[in-house]
Amino acid sequence: MKQMIDRVDARLDAWGEALKRREFRFPSDLTAGIVFALVGIAMLLAMPSQVTATGGDVVDGRAFPTLLMTVMLACCAALIGKELFKLARKQPITWKTVNLLVEVKALVILGILLVTYLLSKYTGLFVIGAVFCALGFLAFFRCRKRSYYIITLALAVGIWCAFRFGLGVSF
Amino acid sequence: MLEFIGPASGLLFTLENIFWINIGVFIGSVFAAIPGLTVILCVILFLPFTYQMTAIPGMMFLLGIYCAGGYGGSVSAILINTPGTPHAAATMMDGHPLSKQGRTKAALKIALYASTFGGIFSALMLLFLGPQVARVAAQLGTAEYFMVCLFGLTIIAGVSGKSMIKGIISACIGLLLSCVGTDPMTGYDRLTFGVGRLYMGLDLAVCLIGLFALVEILAKAELKPDALHLDAKKMEDNGVITKEEYKRMARPVLLSSLIGSLVGIIPGTGASEASWFSYNTAKNMSKHPEEFGHGSVEGIAAAESANNAVTGATLIPLLTLGIPGDGTVAIMLSALMINGLNPGLSLFTSDGDIMYAIMLGLILVNLFMLLQGKFLTKLFAKVVSIPQEILTPIIVIFCFAGAYSVNKNYFDVSVALVFAVIAWVLRKLDMPAVPILLGMVLGNMTETNFRRALLISDGSPSIFFSSIYCIIFLVLIVVAVGAIVRGKLKERQAAQTAGKEH
Repeated sequence: MKQMIDRVDARLDAWGEALKRREFRFPSDLTAGIVFALVGIAMLLAMPSQVTATGGDVVDGRAFPTLLMTVMLACCAALIGKELFKLARKQPITWKTVNLLVEVKALVILGILLVTYLLSKYTGLFVIGAVFCALGFLAFFRCRKRSYYIITLALAVGIWCAFRFGLGVSF
Repeated sequence: MLEFIGPASGLLFTLENIFWINIGVFIGSVFAAIPGLTVILCVILFLPFTYQMTAIPGMMFLLGIYCAGGYGGSVSAILINTPGTPHAAATMMDGHPLSKQGRTKAALKIALYASTFGGIFSALMLLFLGPQVARVAAQLGTAEYFMVCLFGLTIIAGVSGKSMIKGIISACIGLLLSCVGTDPMTGYDRLTFGVGRLYMGLDLAVCLIGLFALVEILAKAELKPDALHLDAKKMEDNGVITKEEYKRMARPVLLSSLIGSLVGIIPGTGASEASWFSYNTAKNMSKHPEEFGHGSVEGIAAAESANNAVTGATLIPLLTLGIPGDGTVAIMLSALMINGLNPGLSLFTSDGDIMYAIMLGLILVNLFMLLQGKFLTKLFAKVVSIPQEILTPIIVIFCFAGAYSVNKNYFDVSVALVFAVIAWVLRKLDMPAVPILLGMVLGNMTETNFRRALLISDGSPSIFFSSIYCIIFLVLIVVAVGAIVRGKLKERQAAQTAGKEH
């Protein structure tokens, strides 16, 4: 068993090392400007179907969200314009470096969160999700201390008990 | 004011309130002592608990967390040279060197006494200044209130991140999210995209669990393996502070408490700014500036009294105008409003007994913080070394249980997860999350006042420039934006100069 765990650890380390070296960078301000401009345009296009206009009112339910999206689009235009101006003047623009190892690890964590949620929802027993979550994170951190497993599992069940029997949350 | 003190004391001094204050202080100290766990995260996690309480115990519990968080951060700053909370960074400058000199207990004691003094000073400021500001707030109409919201949002959007434009975009997103659900004036559904459960709107606590708590779990991906284990130093000294040291601390503590309170009143500024500003002021005024950075008692006292002096002062704009001074008290606003307590003069008149009970309670919170600090600091010090392997799943379970318990359904847990992913993407794009929180908190108030004002003026935007208060707030917005832009340009120039030198 120990040898198997060691082999898995060694393989994970090798993958980790390979991923750690892979980095990519993107212009963060320019990307943020484009992404939120698209969000703003999409929201403005969706507005007629999503917010009922009440004819006759001086200001209806659309006025405020429309104003917000207009302000947001103006800010996005300023952000994009600023970065394009810098590019045209050959000045340095804002870049963000992303490490592939960090992103893969974040995806694994998200996977643990999703499985915890799905287990809790579809079994109707929160404690099952809680136990999975505890084991999932201990495995993620490659913990080998038995005491940590006992403490974390006890706490996971304890929190469920506190909510279930202390606060009367039925789950 | 005096007519409310009697009934307020009766409401405050109950076993239930004392119990919740102590639980709040304990949890706040423990959370803040652990590096990586912030006070805002703690308040978010425990906010759903307060939904089942009445106003006073609920607020006492949250204020306990908030105030003790100010002190708790100093424990790890002193013991392991890692600030438990960002605002404890200034404490670390002298706290850890003093600890290395074998005076750990003394450093913790100085931090505790200074924190308590700063907290009580600030609570008194709130008690005496709050009702006066509320009287001014009572003269504001809908247009003026819209300008107040705009002022608060602009400052927070400006100071929250590296770029003011990105801050404004975040604030717009937050305000838009607050529009989801039933239109407060017409009753029609808005921006629900066919999801039936969204007609009630997005629950603030659920969104915050995703935006601020679960995203920290995703951020564990950035954690280096050696950061998983922290060893707290043993406290073996006698903890004696000499008379001479007490004398030296008196002036910086008093001045820093005043600075902290003044900084706290300004929306968008917070404990970090107050503690660094006070630390520098104390250094400039000290007869022993050479000791700063090497274990100066004045340095610890100045930083700690300032960051706790912010706690009561941030409540002044919150309780009088509904403008939260920082992200943590923004969450407290929802705990108040869920009990039907809306900011403004009525809070100090018709609900005066409850309000004064909360304000007096803040003094009590600081006294219990002193007591717990005196007797439980050893325990807080042990907590510093709780390994991340245990802590991480426990926080997740708390987040999920908290999100579920708000409306007792798993839809809210899925909303929290979606917000965690959104927050992760926002981090990658360097977008600040605090303006989103403020936008969500202030959204309803901003929109309602905007629309009411336009209805009164028959659609003419001139109403927003019609009164002296509107013009004052407009000038304040322009001045604040100017100051923020100037500050950011200076920062950029300094960074460029430093880059060239390297």
